[in-house]
Amino acid sequence: MDPALPTDTGPDGGIHVKDALSEKCQKLFLEFLEEVQSPTGELLYLADAEELIRPERNTLTVSFMNIEQYNQPLATTIQEEYYRVYPFLCQAVRHFARDHGNIPPSKEFYVAFSEFPTRQKIRELTAARIGSLLRISGQVVRTHPVHPELVSGTFLCLDCQSLIKDVEQQFRYTQPNVCKNPVCANRKRFMLDANKSRFVDFQKVRIQETQAELPRGSIPRTVEVVLRAEAVETAQAGDHSDFTGTLIVVPDVSALASAAVRSETSSRLTGREGFDADGIAGLKALGVRDLSYRLAFLASYVAPTNPRFGGKALRQEGQTAESVKDQMTVEEWEKVFEMTLDKNLYHNLCTSLFPTIHGNDEIKRGILLMLFGGVAKTTMEGTSLRGDINICIVGDPSTSKSQFLKHVEDFAPRAVYTSGKASSAAGLTAAVVRDEESHEFVIEAGALMLADNGVCCIDEFDKMDLKDQVAIHEAMEQQTISITKAGIKATLNARTSILAAANPIDGRYNRSKSLKQNINMSAPIMSRFDLFFILVDECNEVTDYAIARRIVDLHCRNMESVQRVYSPDEVQRYILFARQFQPTITPGAREFVVEQYKLLRQRDSTGSMKSAWRITVRQLESMLRLSEAMTRMYCSDEVQPKHVKEAFRLLNKSIIRVDSPDINFENEEDEQEIHDQNDAAEAREKGTNGVNGAVTDKEQQPITESASAPKAVLKMSFAEYRKISNLIVLHMHRMEDIDEEGSLKKSELVNWYLKEMESEIETEEELISKKTLFEKVLHRLINYDHVIIELTQTGLKRSKYGEAPTTEEDPVLVVNPNYTLE
Amino acid sequence: MPSTNDWINNPLGVVEEMFGASQNSCDSGWEAKVTEFFRQRLMEKDAHTWVPSLNDVPLHYLKPNSLVKFRCLIQDMFDPEFYMGAYDTVDPSTKARVLRCGKYKDVTEWGVDLDSANMVTSDRQTFYCVPIPGESPWVKESYASACQARVVPSTSYVPSRQKRSYEDDDDEDDMDTQPQAQGHAHNGTQAAAESQGNGDCKRQETEAPSGQKASNPPLDLNFPLPGEQGPACLVKVYTDWDSFKLNDTLEVYGVLSVNPALSALIDQKDASSSLILDPAECMETAEELRVHRPPASLVPRLHLIHTQRLTHNNPLLPPAAPEDSAASLASTLSEMVSVRGELLAYLAQLLLGDALAAEYLLLHLISNVYARRDVIPLGKFTLNLSGCPYATAPAYTEQLYRALQQLVPSSYRLSMTLQNLNQLRLVPRKDYVANRLESGLLQLAANTSLYLDETQLDQGQLDPAGVRNITALGNVISWQKVDYDFNYHQMEFPSNINVLIASEGRSLLPSDCHVHLQPQVTPPNMEAYLGSAHTAQSSSQLNKFRLYLTVARTLDYSISEEVTKAVEDDFVDMRKDDPQSISADDLHSLLVVARLLCLSLGQSALSTEAWGRAKHIETLRKSRSEPQGCLNGNEP
Repeated sequence: MDPALPTDTGPDGGIHVKDALSEKCQKLFLEFLEEVQSPTGELLYLADAEELIRPERNTLTVSFMNIEQYNQPLATTIQEEYYRVYPFLCQAVRHFARDHGNIPPSKEFYVAFSEFPTRQKIRELTAARIGSLLRISGQVVRTHPVHPELVSGTFLCLDCQSLIKDVEQQFRYTQPNVCKNPVCANRKRFMLDANKSRFVDFQKVRIQETQAELPRGSIPRTVEVVLRAEAVETAQAGDHSDFTGTLIVVPDVSALASAAVRSETSSRLTGREGFDADGIAGLKALGVRDLSYRLAFLASYVAPTNPRFGGKALRQEGQTAESVKDQMTVEEWEKVFEMTLDKNLYHNLCTSLFPTIHGNDEIKRGILLMLFGGVAKTTMEGTSLRGDINICIVGDPSTSKSQFLKHVEDFAPRAVYTSGKASSAAGLTAAVVRDEESHEFVIEAGALMLADNGVCCIDEFDKMDLKDQVAIHEAMEQQTISITKAGIKATLNARTSILAAANPIDGRYNRSKSLKQNINMSAPIMSRFDLFFILVDECNEVTDYAIARRIVDLHCRNMESVQRVYSPDEVQRYILFARQFQPTITPGAREFVVEQYKLLRQRDSTGSMKSAWRITVRQLESMLRLSEAMTRMYCSDEVQPKHVKEAFRLLNKSIIRVDSPDINFENEEDEQEIHDQNDAAEAREKGTNGVNGAVTDKEQQPITESASAPKAVLKMSFAEYRKISNLIVLHMHRMEDIDEEGSLKKSELVNWYLKEMESEIETEEELISKKTLFEKVLHRLINYDHVIIELTQTGLKRSKYGEAPTTEEDPVLVVNPNYTLE
Repeated sequence: MPSTNDWINNPLGVVEEMFGASQNSCDSGWEAKVTEFFRQRLMEKDAHTWVPSLNDVPLHYLKPNSLVKFRCLIQDMFDPEFYMGAYDTVDPSTKARVLRCGKYKDVTEWGVDLDSANMVTSDRQTFYCVPIPGESPWVKESYASACQARVVPSTSYVPSRQKRSYEDDDDEDDMDTQPQAQGHAHNGTQAAAESQGNGDCKRQETEAPSGQKASNPPLDLNFPLPGEQGPACLVKVYTDWDSFKLNDTLEVYGVLSVNPALSALIDQKDASSSLILDPAECMETAEELRVHRPPASLVPRLHLIHTQRLTHNNPLLPPAAPEDSAASLASTLSEMVSVRGELLAYLAQLLLGDALAAEYLLLHLISNVYARRDVIPLGKFTLNLSGCPYATAPAYTEQLYRALQQLVPSSYRLSMTLQNLNQLRLVPRKDYVANRLESGLLQLAANTSLYLDETQLDQGQLDPAGVRNITALGNVISWQKVDYDFNYHQMEFPSNINVLIASEGRSLLPSDCHVHLQPQVTPPNMEAYLGSAHTAQSSSQLNKFRLYLTVARTLDYSISEEVTKAVEDDFVDMRKDDPQSISADDLHSLLVVARLLCLSLGQSALSTEAWGRAKHIETLRKSRSEPQGCLNGNEP
């Protein structure tokens, strides 16, 4: 096959070059086929070889790993001199097949190598790699029809009628140079006898560099791949496939060598080319020729791409943690391993994911868990339960909602970003459109379909077209899209997580209304979101400072302003790895889930109408999904109660955070029992994330149950409450800074506050009401939110929860060391 | 050593000589030596002006295989190509073997010995380059007049190219008269012509002589903007090609290769590709061949020897990065404040006496995406100029563009008619049949001004393509990126386009800053008014403005610690007083405004005064636009 080594059947001359290396290779390869055994002691390739008897089969697929194990030098030779030895290897297959079966003598056989270990990037294919065995991967962008290719031609001499057999053909039509009849001098007039010639299937496809391998800002490279024999029709446009084979030069260098002579004769005499432009012939006669040629890839084996990291799918059927690990380089694996040991992993992943967004830790956590996802299940009846987590962010304009979405689009493989306002004609789901050229109906993929196995980010969800809103129902729960239009009936997969952002109806979120009243979304859709987050443009000095700092930093050219513990690639790899875990629920965790669910239900049924939605089984499912995601994040196989706790906390946050209704100080005493129940969750929160400053807004919901507040003065909006509490904490911090040892008495604090408020107080009644209000706030901060700790005179004995705070007339107050301002 | 002009007229001779020398001395570094030699030569005073430029000299006036330069944008990147790096030639009469070098060449001479062991295969990369889209006429003129290369039609070359040169002559006439021609068109029927011509045919090569190529449809040269002219070029790069990015603007110095044999060889291949039994022979389909190997007379090849990246495209400034030429800029810097005043006055005149809008327009003109943090582009400043008098003066927006075009190096006015939105291709698309990137309007070089004229929009139906186009425009404005369509997926390419939207009401597109125009004067004849405002500026005055804008844009900028602190305090105080008054986004845009204000004054650090001024003009602006905002429900 190698043009430099004409085989003995070649009619083109007497030079017989014996290629010793290739022949040795053939011998060794035949030995390999004859000898290599499977672990059970059978000949590994015997069954395959016997299959080759069937007329449609002609290719024996051999695992390269087996050769390496059997005979390392042979493997090396094949790898390095692939193009040279390939025909001899095929010959060996032929002998092997003939020995084990009755095959027609004229049948051609081919060998294909699977499991070739290393993989080359398309960008790394250079002239130096021509001829050696390689594996490349890419996306198939174009396929050509399958053609028969002449491999060995039989020609009829038109002068003396003698047959010239077995003229090797290599990529181009090759006639015999001279009639083999010694008395006939015919060099030109031959006719191909198609019936006696041998053909092989031949197909060209073009592949394109995958996005993962592409340097930013470059156009993806493409490579022509030539497929032969059984490899044809195995790759479809759009597939990501691996190709094993070798680089060849087109036009063939050897073809170039005699091109001048050959094409001249063929064109004149066969008359096929049919041009008689003398100018061109003249130029050619001068020997002027194009200096450039291109490379093509001759592939013998095609397999679907095993996505390496950043290979474009987060989930892959049939992958296990082991197989994912195998695909990582040593350093990559070490990094992943190191990450699994990180005690602060949860937090670090969050900050690495959104380094430029300030605060909003809950949303970051939610999105992180969304990326890990829950386990998809199929019930015994065959209904499938989704594992994907859907999240909706509702918020005031200019609260970095879109930034979250953009980040996810940028980060997650197969993420699609679309806006409800300007989605394409296909909309979010899919549309049937008539192809302009062929007039056939085709299905045009919408955003949801494109994001199959990924994340679909939908901005301005509330402004979405009504028909899309309806269609999205199915996609969100069943994870399929059905189309019945223009005679096409199809169910398409849309296994995607949805990350939506929506604006409140009045432009700004109205705290006095419930979530439902605040957004323009039907209840069924709302219930399909696992988590709802409300982004309110809140106002307090400390967060404002932090925001200001973040933004100013962004504008000064401080590269350090983007702080990441892990690079996006590392996080991506980690997520891919962690997603391979399919955690199951331990009995302990199960009980805990039931308990928490009961708690939620109970609270719901006690009649609080302010809850975001009725707690139903959907929330139970959400809790399970979130717990599983949590478990995956820690690369664990079992869902532990601690995972459920965090899931519950997030869910709780997302449901209750919704309103933050007014704080009513009158009925606190009555509500103690409910607080008791919540306390568990709260204590946990303090333990697990001291960073989170939103501690204060934990438990407003039960309080509001008693709607009849006797005194209007004793009610205050949650924002106001936050404002005062932050003021106090700041003041106390300041005092502590001034004097380490100094202690702040409760009375001092009250006086200070009233002084601060002096300008606003005009009458005595106001003074009194302010004072009572402030005391109530303080009481609340001490007893319910634990932001401030009361110290008895002897000091250091923390006031017990529920204990009457009045036992000490004027206790010393300190800020809870665990409390951090947002 | 080669004599002075040899390296321009016969660069290949220089290359051969060095190659030959290296063969004798076994010196492997000859390639580096060649590039170094040409770099040195070009560094010499004014040397680069002696090299003829493909941009302003018609192709047939250039000597083949001579050194030429080309100011261009990388529109597409082809696959690498392999060539004979070194080969033996055999003289048929004397049988003497000579080793030759294949670098910087497309075709070989007679007598190549293909079986020679000396043959070396090397690879090179091909870029498809087009002239910088939307380059203003003044830039072209200025470059052309600076070029001192004297070119005469090379006599030896004329006969073989008689037919073609006739066509090119036409072309060239077009080019010569272009400024005037454009002027004519713009004054009168331009709007009509543009709206109907934009879509399809203008992109194609101009007036293909009917008789000559009747069989072939005219070649689409794939310019991003419709109505562009000038040569496209296949630039072959030999080293370090991975450092080039799509949409980079370059000045390429290279060997011009227009050998007609190239096209002939391709024709021959084309014909032979019909052989069924030779499937491998037709690795490239006819469409691909047309695109990848167009006739050399239309798309010349340029073998890159030396290149310079253009950080700006202002001929008034030395092409190097501003740091290197600090000395020459010192005078400009000292004048900045005064020039700013003059420019403001001029802009205010154009904006019918609205000084605030003029100030914002100035800030917009010097804006530039200077960094990206994650997904956020920093420094962009899209301006929406609403309240353009359309009812009384329908041509106002267009004339305003005309005036701005005189100030910026490259710009394009997209009149946002429904027809344009539905039919134009804004986003580049990969054509897998021809294996190339079909360009779109938004494939623009960095710092191009895109002027969107929304006054042209009517009520009507947007079709799917229209919706996609609007989305693409929105993406450019909000994220400074364009999602190129690769059929199976989209690929994001960063952009750095200054978008200015002129509209009557608030624009339907997002913007960073919205200013409602408050005309102080209502000239009875808008055309005459703006015309006189424009002609009042002498060309030296205009040049000052142009220089000012480019310099201001490239200045460095920082914020000191104290000012950072002050800004933070300020923000918190403002929030304390009224939480609704300023959001995080407002602070963000305030910082952008402050930065641009400083740059416009030639200051490289934020001062408290500038901060105060930024706050002041933002307040003024907001007080104007608030009643406007309510009319139109678009989220800012």
